[in-house]
Amino acid sequence: MLLDLSEEHKEHLAFLPQVDSAVVAEFGRIAVEFLRRGSNPKVYEGAARKLSVSSDTVQHGVEGLIYLLTESSKLMISELDFQDSVFVLGFSEELNKLLLQLYLDNRKEIRTILSELAPDLPSYHNLEWRLDVQLASRSLRQQIKPAVTIKLHLNQNGDHNTKVLQTDPATLLHLVQQLEQALEEMKTNHCRRVVRNIK
Amino acid sequence: MELSEYVQKGFQMLADPGSFDSNAFTLLLRAAFQSLLDAQADEAVLDHPDLKHIDPVVLKHCHAAAATYILEAGKHRVDKSTLSSYLEDCKFDRERIDLFCTEYQNNKNSLEILLGSISRSLPHITDVSWRLEYQIKTNQLHKMYRPAYLVTLNVENTDSGSYPEISFSCNMEQLQDLVGKLKDAEENQERHRGLWELAVLARARRRTLPFESVTHRF
Repeated sequence: MLLDLSEEHKEHLAFLPQVDSAVVAEFGRIAVEFLRRGSNPKVYEGAARKLSVSSDTVQHGVEGLIYLLTESSKLMISELDFQDSVFVLGFSEELNKLLLQLYLDNRKEIRTILSELAPDLPSYHNLEWRLDVQLASRSLRQQIKPAVTIKLHLNQNGDHNTKVLQTDPATLLHLVQQLEQALEEMKTNHCRRVVRNIK
Repeated sequence: MELSEYVQKGFQMLADPGSFDSNAFTLLLRAAFQSLLDAQADEAVLDHPDLKHIDPVVLKHCHAAAATYILEAGKHRVDKSTLSSYLEDCKFDRERIDLFCTEYQNNKNSLEILLGSISRSLPHITDVSWRLEYQIKTNQLHKMYRPAYLVTLNVENTDSGSYPEISFSCNMEQLQDLVGKLKDAEENQERHRGLWELAVLARARRRTLPFESVTHRF
């Protein structure tokens, strides 16, 4: 599957052959860093001064690279497809190799970052538990009431959330049985067939 | 077990055959238990023809006194001898004491369940449901091809009467981690169950010994 690069995108990337590979590699590093932490316009100005071009040009070049990397990573295109897509830009052999390497080296991380953009439910992080016995309360003395106290740690959009819950021994057993069944389900023929065939 | 003067006075009236004959006493006693334990009970519990001849103010006073005493006795888990001696102190005759003790014994379990259920507690997990899905793509990421679970815990919040649900997603490893930890808790709980059962037995055995006073009970 080939990438479809717009004219504007090709124009932005046209800046890359005009600088040496060390600079392109540096732009690549900046692009990935911006994907990790967000963009920082000051970087563009510094680079623009050093290269004697406008900061807009630098910005477009880096952004072009970012888009190239994210689109390729999103679609998980093969090496061959990437090379063919980049070929239309008419870059040198050396530059093409550099871009391919940049893609392969960072693909996994970029996909992880992209997966964080999906509609997000709280996700499981950790579970702590404690066994308690209630001995008395204001309304009833001399009790022996076992209970399990659970602290559930969840993550959502980078926020860490904890919930403190309680349950009784019988329900705990039920929870374990139900969730074990859930795990077992993945091993059934049906699920295996689906996993094998949807690729 | 400290009872107010109001309660003690009401109780003493109950003991008096002049104010309450045998039949009225039995009816009032049963009405007291019913008011406490029957969820559908209302003021009509005192509307019995055999109680009509008694002054309604007195009736309500004694009903409240009896109910208060029953609750206090239940709260402290008093045994039969403590019950009897208090009733003797209030000048109840033997017949009424026996009746009271029998009624109390019959209703003891329900009373303890009722009292035990009144408490502040953490949200309580009642059930779990799960969903297994195979993620194919999002608009940001194609070719995902990975299984994921969505787990929902049904929770009961007795304090506020609400039933919030807690849902979260997890992958295979995370679910294995979760199940592993829950199993750990469950196994530890099983191991200590012997201890709880011993404690319950010990408590039951203690009950047959005579006691000085309810307040010295641990």
